[in-house]
Amino acid sequence: MTSRREFLRRAGSGAAAALLAARADAQQRRGVTHDSLVVKDSANLFAMDQDAARSVRLPPKPGASPSMTVTERDELERHIHCQCGCTLDVFTCRTTDFSCQVSPAMHRDVVALVDGGYSAQEIIDAFVGVYGERARMAPKKSGFTLLAWVTPGVVVLVAGALLSMWLRRREQPQPKRTVAQGGVSPRAVPGVDATPDELARLEAAVKGDNDA
Amino acid sequence: MILIGELSLWVALLMAAWSTTVSYAGGAMRRRDLTASGVRGLYATFAMIVLASVGLWTALLSRDFSLEYVASHISATMPSVYIFTAFWSGQAGSLLFWALILSMYGTIAIATSRKRNSELVPWATGTISAILLFFIATNVFKANPFTRLDFLPPDGRGMNPQLQNPGMALHPPNLYLGYVATAIPFAFAIAALFTRRLDAEWLGVVRRWALLSWFFLTIGIVLGMWWAYVELGWSGYWAWDPVENSSFLPWLTTTAFLHSIMIQEKRGMLRKWNVVLVVVSFLLSIFGTFITRSGVIESVHSFAQSPVGNWFATFFFLATGITIYLVGTRLKDLEAKAELESMVSREAAFLYNNLLLIGIAFAVFWGTIFPIISEWANGTKITVGPPFFNAVNVPLGLLLLGLTGVGPLIAWRKASVSNLKRQFATPAIVGLVVAVILFALGMHSLAPLMTYGLCGFVAATIAQEFTKGVRARRAIHNESVLTGFFHLVARNRRRYGGYIVHAGIVMLFAAFAGMAFRTQHDVTLATGQAFEARDPYGHQWKFVSQGVSTSSPRDRLVEAVGLETFRDGKRLGFITSEKRQYLDAQGNPLFGKITEVGIRSTAKLDTYVVLAGVRNTDVAELTISFNPLVVWVWIGGFLMMIGGLVVMWPQAEKRRPQAGYAAVMPTQAERAELAGAV
Repeated sequence: MTSRREFLRRAGSGAAAALLAARADAQQRRGVTHDSLVVKDSANLFAMDQDAARSVRLPPKPGASPSMTVTERDELERHIHCQCGCTLDVFTCRTTDFSCQVSPAMHRDVVALVDGGYSAQEIIDAFVGVYGERARMAPKKSGFTLLAWVTPGVVVLVAGALLSMWLRRREQPQPKRTVAQGGVSPRAVPGVDATPDELARLEAAVKGDNDA
Repeated sequence: MILIGELSLWVALLMAAWSTTVSYAGGAMRRRDLTASGVRGLYATFAMIVLASVGLWTALLSRDFSLEYVASHISATMPSVYIFTAFWSGQAGSLLFWALILSMYGTIAIATSRKRNSELVPWATGTISAILLFFIATNVFKANPFTRLDFLPPDGRGMNPQLQNPGMALHPPNLYLGYVATAIPFAFAIAALFTRRLDAEWLGVVRRWALLSWFFLTIGIVLGMWWAYVELGWSGYWAWDPVENSSFLPWLTTTAFLHSIMIQEKRGMLRKWNVVLVVVSFLLSIFGTFITRSGVIESVHSFAQSPVGNWFATFFFLATGITIYLVGTRLKDLEAKAELESMVSREAAFLYNNLLLIGIAFAVFWGTIFPIISEWANGTKITVGPPFFNAVNVPLGLLLLGLTGVGPLIAWRKASVSNLKRQFATPAIVGLVVAVILFALGMHSLAPLMTYGLCGFVAATIAQEFTKGVRARRAIHNESVLTGFFHLVARNRRRYGGYIVHAGIVMLFAAFAGMAFRTQHDVTLATGQAFEARDPYGHQWKFVSQGVSTSSPRDRLVEAVGLETFRDGKRLGFITSEKRQYLDAQGNPLFGKITEVGIRSTAKLDTYVVLAGVRNTDVAELTISFNPLVVWVWIGGFLMMIGGLVVMWPQAEKRRPQAGYAAVMPTQAERAELAGAV
């Protein structure tokens, strides 16, 4: 019968053999080049696509003037998703540090559309028309994506209702427990307006029973 | 050493397999010799993983670019500290780091529980070893940090300079320490389910490790926020990015568990729920580790493309399936031992607290995975960003903040009307006064107004509890306020440590609401030109450009702009922001240009300057932001850490005999004196 020590010794030699075999096999099969090193297991924060920007331009409306203030335009850009590969909106991305070429291009499109007299909703629709639904920073509140908005609220409300019903069903007022029965609340002090629980907490403060 | 490390990883794989098999066999056959062998196998696995880790660190610090991992993550010119931290900056290294921490935690947990929890040990050891086996196997077969290149590159590609920051050096290991700590409660929960020993025995071990997990997750999350704020230059600290969300999820469920476990300890209730929370926290940690390293964020396709994606998915579903089976077959053993006495009680408040924490966790999880669901269901790629998460989570967060004040003050079992009045009258008035004052000062947005009102309420409840406790100590022991305070905290660490954590939470909420008043300006300044703006408090600021300077230290080219800064005409000094281009050993650019943000921080306001670009050598394109109350995020986070330490600090064994409660009760006179402090 093989002892544990013997088993471990054999397993160790087996592992070493397997390791050497695996390495030899990898040397044969692998065609790793310096180029593949560059793209593999990137240390970048994310893979940036600098060519992702596409033109989102519409002809100006007749007699157009800017449809919103600069502050409103910045706020609008917070609802349009930069397409460079980050998870940020156009305003945040273009004012940050990611060396992004995409968000400035998208910003120029927003400025042109604002100057062309288009409303916030029309501008978002124009971006969605070009980039698809990913142009929005949040799903639209209709169709399938309405599910994204309503589900958390419905789940919490239903869970809250179920919890309340469950608690009401289990609510069973019990007679006051005595120390002998294992109750932990000290007796109330006659003439003092403090519950046993409050007294227990104060006792803990003084005695240190470490009760949370 | 590198070869020894590589070999050790393989031996660790065998050891983990051995430990898993014989531990479970020892538990099933009640064979102590097998259990002891399994435990020794776990210790050996730890030793082997330490050797493997030393091997990888040796490769990194000796800059052995023949290893693919080393060549991909460091360069010859990188500072040594970041070469050391490169250990966990890539997929293969971070998986080894996971295994290192888990084997260390597992060794400590089993070594310290062998006598007290001998029934649970074989199953807990088997489960810890099984998790280790998964991570080591993934490391060996799918993401091996010791894979060699066929050529020797002259230099590595280095680490993104934005990751070369103290915050980023400490943020990932803290998160990992937090993630991995959830595995220990999970292992003991599985052991308790297997053995049907679902009494209070396993709770002691589980609570300590859950607390440790919460502690490190808190530090990791706050450090990540700090890094994002000072390094990325987008003037914010939380973007609801899927990677951020993945660290927030186990934090939420662990927080819920740390509250609900009190109900089980105190009343014997919520036994099923606590098991579920322990399991879910671990599974979410796996989800978080997976999402961070696999690229699942982008779409379902990234999942398939990721070399470890399928392995993680299999492990995740296997662990979920086994746990569901175990919980399902042991429901009777998990029946509550006590009934709820009243809806108006601390038990009920904690249950609603749990509902909200889990509700927020669900909303975050749902928003994180919804792009995948959408693409899977109808092929539409969508983005779920901050507008969604803020809209869904702000109301839930405010309710939770309110309960943070209610929970600790309401009585166990059943609260009377007079109890409610006495405990909540002053805090409610404080909260109301805060809201009215802010409204009178011109704050008319509902969400911030409610936040500050609730912050006032919760802060008052905490202050009230400390005041009462100190007053009670002074009444009995005749101590000074300061001594009374320290003794109060030292002798009731769980409760008052918890209050300190709550105080940190109040600060965080106050700081979050402050960002609603943030203002930002895009500015272009040539040398000598000035820009003026008002901050959210109405102060007039003036920034005068001192011009753009260039320099070329060892490994980078730097463009810097200095702004002489004035507030209401008073000179405050300079704020400097830089644009840096890092270079490799041959002088070639590494990655893109990055910005070093200029921040002037006070308790009320951060003035945040980002050099976005330079035109014509002396024209600086700048973004200047006024960010109110940001510093309170860091102070609040620090306070939470202190509170966590207070709660975790080991306490001397109680001298009080369990059966002699009445004997140590205060005298009638003492109690009357205590009541006087109410």
